[in-house]
Amino acid sequence: MATETGETESGTGTVTERGTGTRVLDHETKEWLLSRGFYVVAGALLVFLWIPLAVMVILSFAVNASTFFPFRGFTLAHYTATFADGALMTSLWHSVQVATIAASVATVLGVLSSFALARFSFPFKELYRTFGILPMVIPGVVLGIALLIYFRTLLPQLFGIQIVPGFWTVVLTHSVYGYPFVLLIVTSRLYTFDESLEEAARDLGADPLTVFRDITMPIVAPAIGAGFLFAWIRSFEDFIRAFFVRGTMDVLTTSMFSMIKYGTAPKMNAISSFIVFVIAIVLAVAMNVGNVSGMVAGTEGNDEE
Amino acid sequence: MATETSERSRSARERFVGAFTSRASRLGITTGPALIWLFLLLLTPLTFMVAVSFTSVDTFTYQIIWEPTLENYDSLFAGQGPFWQTAFFQSLALSYFIAAVTTVLCLVLAFPLAYLLARRGGTTFKVVIFLVLLPFFTMYLVRAYSWFLMFGPSGVINSTLMRLGIVNGPLNLFNYGVPAIIIGLTHAYFPYMLLSLYASLDGLDFSLTEAARDLGASRTETLKDIILPLVLPGIISGSLFVFVPSLGAFITPRFLGQGKVLMIGQLIEERINSLYAIGYGSAASMFIVLSIVIAFAVAFRYVSIEDLGGV
Repeated sequence: MATETGETESGTGTVTERGTGTRVLDHETKEWLLSRGFYVVAGALLVFLWIPLAVMVILSFAVNASTFFPFRGFTLAHYTATFADGALMTSLWHSVQVATIAASVATVLGVLSSFALARFSFPFKELYRTFGILPMVIPGVVLGIALLIYFRTLLPQLFGIQIVPGFWTVVLTHSVYGYPFVLLIVTSRLYTFDESLEEAARDLGADPLTVFRDITMPIVAPAIGAGFLFAWIRSFEDFIRAFFVRGTMDVLTTSMFSMIKYGTAPKMNAISSFIVFVIAIVLAVAMNVGNVSGMVAGTEGNDEE
Repeated sequence: MATETSERSRSARERFVGAFTSRASRLGITTGPALIWLFLLLLTPLTFMVAVSFTSVDTFTYQIIWEPTLENYDSLFAGQGPFWQTAFFQSLALSYFIAAVTTVLCLVLAFPLAYLLARRGGTTFKVVIFLVLLPFFTMYLVRAYSWFLMFGPSGVINSTLMRLGIVNGPLNLFNYGVPAIIIGLTHAYFPYMLLSLYASLDGLDFSLTEAARDLGASRTETLKDIILPLVLPGIISGSLFVFVPSLGAFITPRFLGQGKVLMIGQLIEERINSLYAIGYGSAASMFIVLSIVIAFAVAFRYVSIEDLGGV
């Protein structure tokens, strides 16, 4: 295969190149193969990332919901059945509420700490930062179990506080989980912030509150928004932490988990595909409004077009 | 009347601003809330989890008996045969294996794509990053489920191959089990690796590689001596973000293993949810936590904590 391509390529090269081409592949062919190779690998990877999702979306419209063959035609019945499923819709609503409250708490906490980290020096600063990133790196199983034991056994037994696992325990858990995402995004924005802008405003007679409102806020706001969005998505898609601390309440991920466990493919395909559509729209909008790709890839600030 | 209101509001405003003027109060207001939150909902539960792993639980009342014991750690490794035949040790070893293979696979696959992204700008970059980010932002559960549809004896891959007449019966390779789990985890955590690698490749000065080539270095030498040392922080942080969650994975092995594979996360969940064996679960969790502490300790010899940002 490689020699074949090599021959066709050197055929298009100049006569001298052919003359010196004593090796199997001459330099130009090698370059050509390498650059094509990169594109082929990249293309194959994108196919790999997309194929399971594409198959699932197609199956969500198919009459037989778990495999292509024998193909029996397209239908919207799975979607109508899914949106008519009261329990599923309730759990979706719970997820939205939990994610919104938890992400708001995480954002407030994260923004405050970001200012502390970026603006002040204080003892144990590195420790504080490390401590703040912990919730992101502790595996969900460990955090989930630790909090389950805490809420169910330790709080009542040792401190006499009764918090029945349910809506609010999930919110509390997710607020801790979402905090590092806000912290990382907002601090990195504050580090690139030109503080002389604030000094200039103060020199021109603005009081601290005005400086904050008119200078600091507009510059940091996109990062805060991105942080909130990250924390929201993390909460919305989290299964394992919610699974342990939810009590008897269901969020979307836990109902989906039981749907897969008890094998109801049609509804699962439909609700999953619906989520893919929503995320595609949100992402397309966000990428055109803000610099999401830069934000995520950590290049924010140096390649804004 | 009007002036009085404005004066009152001004003084309220001044008091509000005044609260931020002293260094101590500014520090307290900015660091305090998160500190309280993390103390109550992270440090205390985790500390108690460590404590619980050294205590026993009354089997009737589920009350914790606060007397130090090594019973839980003992039970992890106690069984019929030697310790390496216990369910705990086997699932821990299997989890290490799966997490390691996943990490290497992600690294090998992500590198060419990250390199391409770093060298190309404009539309190619935007389209590719969109195509990568969309699966990345799609719920983890949905992605694990989408592979669940693909695999299995009558899953999409096997039934398509059979229908096209390529194979006669379902291939074992596409059945549920370790290969399926590795593919599912690679799919799940690939973007972390890609974004970490991209972030460090993007800061790379490619004139260095050209210079190396001009001075007669071969392609492999350039990669080994120039590119790899410079993107090492990206490789390390990317590997951490793949290895750590893979080790504690729960959903993927559950659906793509279909009972044939027991990873450490599943084992712990099983004991906790069916038996409320919190001592056993806590002790087993300590091994995950310890592995992660070691992984980070090793990583921090090469990267700083800021390099872990972004993802």
